[in-house]
Amino acid sequence: MTIRINLKRINAKRPQQTSPAGLKRVVLAATVKPEAAHPPKFTRTPAKPKNRLLVIAHSIKGALDDHALQTIAAAAILADAQTAVSVMVLGGLKQDLLEKLGIAGADEVMVLPTLDFQVFQPDVELATILDVIESLKPLRILMPDNANGDGDLGRRLIAHKQLTAATYVVEINAKHVATYQVGGNVLARSELPEVILLAPNTVESELPFTAKATRVDAPVVADATAQTKNQYQDLGLQASIANDIALEEADFIVSAGNGVANLTTLATLAEALGASVGASRVVVDDGKLPRDKQIGATGKTVTASTYMAVGISGAVQHLQGIKDCRHVIAINKDASAPMIKRADLSIIGDAEAIMHALIAELEKAKVNKVAQ
Amino acid sequence: MKQIAVLVSASKHPISGLPRHHHNDSLALRLGLNLANKHAATLQVLHAGNADNPALQDYLALGASQIDVISATGNMLEKLAAQLQNVDLILTGTRAENGEDSGLLPYLLAAKLNFPVIAGALELRLNKEQDKVEVLQFLPKGQRRHVVVALPAVVAVHPLAPIELRFVHAQRSLGNINNISNQQSDVEVSIPTTWIAEPPRKAIKLKAQTKQTGHERLMDVIGSKSKAGTVVNDGNNVEKAQVILRYLREHQLTKF
Ligand SMILES: Cc1cc2nc3c(=O)[nH]c(=O)nc-3n(C[C@H](O)[C@H](O)[C@H](O)COP(=O)(O)OP(=O)(O)OC[C@H]3O[C@@H](n4cnc5c(N)ncnc54)[C@H](O)[C@@H]3O)c2cc1C
Ligand SMILES: Nc1ncnc2c1ncn2[C@@H]1O[C@H](COP(=O)(O)O)[C@@H](O)[C@H]1O
Repeated sequence: MTIRINLKRINAKRPQQTSPAGLKRVVLAATVKPEAAHPPKFTRTPAKPKNRLLVIAHSIKGALDDHALQTIAAAAILADAQTAVSVMVLGGLKQDLLEKLGIAGADEVMVLPTLDFQVFQPDVELATILDVIESLKPLRILMPDNANGDGDLGRRLIAHKQLTAATYVVEINAKHVATYQVGGNVLARSELPEVILLAPNTVESELPFTAKATRVDAPVVADATAQTKNQYQDLGLQASIANDIALEEADFIVSAGNGVANLTTLATLAEALGASVGASRVVVDDGKLPRDKQIGATGKTVTASTYMAVGISGAVQHLQGIKDCRHVIAINKDASAPMIKRADLSIIGDAEAIMHALIAELEKAKVNKVAQ
Repeated sequence: MKQIAVLVSASKHPISGLPRHHHNDSLALRLGLNLANKHAATLQVLHAGNADNPALQDYLALGASQIDVISATGNMLEKLAAQLQNVDLILTGTRAENGEDSGLLPYLLAAKLNFPVIAGALELRLNKEQDKVEVLQFLPKGQRRHVVVALPAVVAVHPLAPIELRFVHAQRSLGNINNISNQQSDVEVSIPTTWIAEPPRKAIKLKAQTKQTGHERLMDVIGSKSKAGTVVNDGNNVEKAQVILRYLREHQLTKF
């Protein structure tokens, strides 16, 4: 007996396009309708706030990182109609990023450029935030629990004012916070305390609303702050040699994919940029770089500010490992590679040639810098 | 500098549940022992808890000759502070694994004693006059900072401090565990956050209420939403390289 299935064979790999309406097969020569723009979001900012939630975070290179933005989003989600989210940025903030804080849910933004995280001056910072707390009388204070100075400052605040507090908070909602205790054997819950130090990725930072992010002056008593003596003497920062540190810690990664013909060129480029070297799985499987350089689902998850993907197609498994990278730069000869969709800047062309050109440009820039 | 104290907590093996030392506190102990040897200072090793805890013997095996144990009931902070009045340098770990694990203890102790506190120490050394401590502090992204502070001070040691731990098991039974629980009256705990313990589970992420299509939710999860970045197709290689350099400069991602 023969079974006949009357089905036409369909090529699963024919051109396709994903859009909010779902997966669409591209009909060649058909006109593509532009995607409908999202309806504008409503603005949450209360006109006459009765209460405030205060978010405090250090900026790095003039920007707040995702962890800080998540903390602002948490405050915005928890705030009721009468409560404003005030954000205190310790360190500078680039002008064009104010809008980004609005998208994250900040109603008011105070910027204190002199309290940059590069300088260790916790006494001065504590005195300053105590001034602001005194004047704003916030319901609660939220800070990212990080090693960039916020976890440290938050703990100083808690110890100094003897406030109710929760640290390393992994779960937060309108009713409670929760944190792992007894070595992770217990998830301990408490009512929302006065100070909340939030672990990363506990909050979905994308909001269905925006906020005004109005720049306001911090109500700081200048005298008192100036009089605070810093008992800590900061001898300065020291950057480690990029290739000595683990990839998870690296701030700039130049990563090699199957499209890199010459790894020596890539290593030279990484050195010129002061970056660490990473790789896609194909490169590691080929034995060109050790396993600990692999980035992706079965490799390492990295959080570098800058990720330069050279000759990497951008498979989902690879993209998972660079979810938290802020600036992705792709060099690829194929403009339709998925990496191009993820990248903030994509250069289409031959990797080897572009890397050589970039190395030459960097040399020139260095010579100019020395000459100045 | 005459007196160094190291605060050690106890821990448990994550799978077998057997009592053992807390790795981070052992790093602090090793740093303390090295400093005490170098500067001929006395070292007090202090634990708040149960003197019978076998975990404490790990610290003896690491080189502590005596561990002073005070009871952890009542106001542990008050009792620890009472023990540490005349100490020049107090070393702790960063986060315990046997209690609230809040990483607050070094800060609370410093506030109580009115000492400065530096966290995230990878290395420490004293100045010539032995009245200041210089700390190499851990910062993310491969950065390190040198900070100097006058003694007396509290220094919390980072879990990645580059120190090798060597256990000499013969010392387990040689060292002395000294129960000094004093019968002080119990005062209320200073940080009055009350906790309800639950068995561990995966934490639930906070999300604003939204209506989303299934497709959007899927794209959120795999994180491959198109970002509509700049795509540079034209120009020669030098021009393309300059575009990259300009981008890096614009976002302050390079020094050049
Ligand atoms: C279960 C599972 C787990 C996985 N885990 C991981 C993981 O953790 N990490 C990981 O990376 N992968 C992982 N993969 C593999 C992943 O699916 C991809 O196969 C892999 O990431 C592809 O690597 P690639 O982009 O370097 O190579 P390719 O897919 O071969 O892409 C090479 C790219 O280079 C470009 N190119 C070629 N020549 C040049 C040139 N001269 N100049 C410029 N560009 C050029 C091409 O256009 C192409 O885009 C996993 C796969 C599976 C099934
Ligand atoms: N019961 C304890 N006895 C002695 N030291 C402790 C105790 N609990 C915590 N510590 C110290 O304080 C550090 C931080 O702990 P915690 O603030 O409880 O997370 C630990 O690494 C220890 O050095």
